[in-house]
Amino acid sequence: MSLPAFVNEPVLELRRAAHRNALLSALKDLDASGPVRVPVWIGSDRRDADDPISTDPGNPDRVVAIGATATAADVPRAVEAGERGFTEWSRLPATGRAQALVAAASWLRERRHQAAALAVREAAKPWAEADADVCEALDFLEYYARGAVALEGGESLLVVPGERNEMRYRPRGIVGVIAPWNFPLAIPLGMVAAGLATGNAVVLKPAEQAPGCAAFLVEALRAGGVPAGAIALLPGEGDVGAALVRHPGVHTIAFTGSGPVGLEIVRAAAETPPGARHLKRVVAEMGGKNCVIVDADADLDDAVPGVVRSAFAYAGQKCSAASRVLVHESIADTFTQRLAGAVATLQVGQAERFGVDVPPVIEADAQARVRRYADAARRAGTLVAVREEGVEDVGWFCAPTVVAGLPGDAPVLFEEVFGPLLTVEAVRDVDAACDRIDELPFALTGGLYARNPHTVEHVVRRSPVGNLYVNRSITGAMVGRQPFGGNRLSGTGTKAGGPDYLLHFVEPHVVTENTVRHGLII
Amino acid sequence: MLPPSASDAEILAIGRELSDAIPSPARRPRAALDDKAMDLASQDAQLKAALFRFVDVVPACRSVDDLAAHLSGFLSEVDAKPVALEQALRLGGSRAGRAALGTAAAAGVKHMAHRFIVGESPQAAAGVLADLWKHGVTSSVDLLGEATVTSAEADAYARRCSEALTTLSRAAANWPAQPAIERDSAGELPRANLSVKVSALTPLLRADAPELGSRDAAPRLRALLRRAADAGAHLHVDMESYDSREATTDLVLGLLAEPEFADGPSAGVVLQAYLRDSPELADRLVRWVRDTPRSTPLTVRLVKGAYWDHEVVDARQHGWTPPVFEVKADSDANFEHLTRVLLGARTTGAGVRVAVASHNLRSVAHAVACNRASGHPDEDLELQVLRGLGDGLQTALASSGLRVRTYCPVGDLVAGMAYLVRRLLENTSNDSFLHEQGAGVPLERLLAAPGGAT
Repeated sequence: MSLPAFVNEPVLELRRAAHRNALLSALKDLDASGPVRVPVWIGSDRRDADDPISTDPGNPDRVVAIGATATAADVPRAVEAGERGFTEWSRLPATGRAQALVAAASWLRERRHQAAALAVREAAKPWAEADADVCEALDFLEYYARGAVALEGGESLLVVPGERNEMRYRPRGIVGVIAPWNFPLAIPLGMVAAGLATGNAVVLKPAEQAPGCAAFLVEALRAGGVPAGAIALLPGEGDVGAALVRHPGVHTIAFTGSGPVGLEIVRAAAETPPGARHLKRVVAEMGGKNCVIVDADADLDDAVPGVVRSAFAYAGQKCSAASRVLVHESIADTFTQRLAGAVATLQVGQAERFGVDVPPVIEADAQARVRRYADAARRAGTLVAVREEGVEDVGWFCAPTVVAGLPGDAPVLFEEVFGPLLTVEAVRDVDAACDRIDELPFALTGGLYARNPHTVEHVVRRSPVGNLYVNRSITGAMVGRQPFGGNRLSGTGTKAGGPDYLLHFVEPHVVTENTVRHGLII
Repeated sequence: MLPPSASDAEILAIGRELSDAIPSPARRPRAALDDKAMDLASQDAQLKAALFRFVDVVPACRSVDDLAAHLSGFLSEVDAKPVALEQALRLGGSRAGRAALGTAAAAGVKHMAHRFIVGESPQAAAGVLADLWKHGVTSSVDLLGEATVTSAEADAYARRCSEALTTLSRAAANWPAQPAIERDSAGELPRANLSVKVSALTPLLRADAPELGSRDAAPRLRALLRRAADAGAHLHVDMESYDSREATTDLVLGLLAEPEFADGPSAGVVLQAYLRDSPELADRLVRWVRDTPRSTPLTVRLVKGAYWDHEVVDARQHGWTPPVFEVKADSDANFEHLTRVLLGARTTGAGVRVAVASHNLRSVAHAVACNRASGHPDEDLELQVLRGLGDGLQTALASSGLRVRTYCPVGDLVAGMAYLVRRLLENTSNDSFLHEQGAGVPLERLLAAPGGAT
């Protein structure tokens, strides 16, 4: 089987009413069919229950998923099943595994409206973002399927007469995936697909906020032909994730989530418990404190909407979202005034309404955290804008807020808020902005609005971030186009959707064979 | 029903007449020099990009030093530089050199901008508009400005438009009578004419929520329609990118159907022939006119469309089929088809007024010929050109007794830069009519039916 070259899955052309109507009707069907079922799913053993396990952030009384909850005791069972699944799955050539992943993509593609509707309900993703999430999930399947086929060919090495050298990559074993809720389809599936494409067995511990989406993904993979033993689903709380990280049978942890949890994983994975025969590898994508620099020659017609989109789309709940703007002092007043006006036009409301920019945040704790930071920022600085209109009592809404004039040591300038809160700082020049960015422990994404090519080159050289965006919004990385991941404490420097991501899921083996027998080269 | 089509012989004859009536470059030496400069730029894609990026950033530069720094920054990215540019780049090395370079470049851009922008305000533009009128040319004013990202900016634009309607109608009241250009079979044509953009009337245009933008723009546009009715002016709503087409169409047709606008003002919409689905929109417009009880005709301006690059790039980035024809001949053929559809939709009394806006001599000659073939007098067809780009054609049309309206950007040169760049891009694209004409492509070929001669 030879696969056609990878292309990104086109997002729905939502400017056409027919596509919008198709999504709305999928949501209607989803609502009519009642909560989705999420099992603890280990091999062919499926444990169901009727407990509500996820709710609609826009209407917490609405149960989105019901099901069973895994506990730490399920982890050893899942790893053992995975070991059996690994034997079967890793024996397949990469093309065989790719075939299953591509078939899973077809299954999911046929249900793309349903998948998007589920993300709207379970994670309160506005339609365009939910649809983009589905597309990115499909992209990961297709991209890694192709990547694994290419990787199986191995690397070419130097050759001398009488010696045959080969370098091949083999799967490591069991990959534990600990996934976030904010890209409830793309991120879990990306990590899972990378593990599976390279021949590993995977145990998925989805975010407790979005188990319904995760179950849908596992269904897709199994429907596509991934053996039951190669993919397990353990919907549960943090204790399940912790047990997975500590289990000696797990070879690789792929994690996307908060900084503190990520650091704990790195620490725990470094231990080699008795019986361990390998070093655990961690692929971690953690937090950020993403800054956008707006230089004096920026086109504010682009910069203002770009910054607003980067900071407030999906209520700022993206690892890549902007949370600080560093603007050249000569245009700071104009910029801030236009920014305030633009924030006042933000549509706050339920994710299911087309045109909504800022949906409710994921849960009550998140709402409390965002409000706490916003209050502290407003006390310490000057309020630039707050958009209250559309903030409902029901649902975990937070009013989009912009604050300026904060003291240089204000915690909100250094800590990740993960919500619709943006700060503005006037700086003397681009270098002063770069200095402040350098003080941060994070280096995930960054933005620059500037038109002088020398300035652009200068910032490119100085910037520590994993993904720098010039003269555009700083979210929306696409597979194959913007391989995504952060440096410093933002992550392990790995690039999801990039050409070298799969290397983290394999082990290199070099074989050197002597081909000289009695002076003859055979 | 489509009106009878015109024969290629008639089209060729009209085209020849118009071509002969276009003033020769020798009679407009300054414009000829500008054309040369644009020609030079259009020959090298990198150079063209560098110069456009420079024009685009001029408003944001703080000093001549800053201007020079940007210019040399952009030029340093051009691989094959003409000698003059190498010299310019060397100037960028010293402070005095940069001052000279920056001053010269700013003056150059300003000079170019003057060619396209008739005045910094409607008041300031009134002289040029009166002069056009005296030469038998009507106008439509377009107020340039920065993008609208806030409600305050939408309000400010609406206010400027409202004031422009007043200023223009007052100024126009003093113009001498010009019977040939202020009446057609459907009745009197307002002298004052303003074109407005919905994207400037609301910050809420969202491709996936058209009703959001149209609902937000509606009160501002309604107030402008009232003002236009009071002032006896024409209000034309421009069409922009495909993302805003549904919002714009719904908004305009919805408002004009409100009972208070049944007897005016004179108003219009735009049909973009480069859109594959433009025939459907044409049908919708024709049906709307038939089914809506209004005593004032709806003017439909037929254009090729000015956002071709944007539409194609946007579609490519998203993996969509572009909504525009990708082969120019298809666009041109559709333009002719839509010309006939619109001409055929004219009825006596309230109906459609047709304005064909093109610099393509073939498209213009085709429209004139079809209009004549359908038995209508020449004044029943309006032809439109762009200030600064269609000046020669404008003169030719007016001297041939055809009714021509020139689209005149008004605003300060700084805010007008984005507009300028877009027009320049369009004009210097290699398959544009103006480019081919300038490059000496034979008239027979330029006047051949779309796709008929290669």
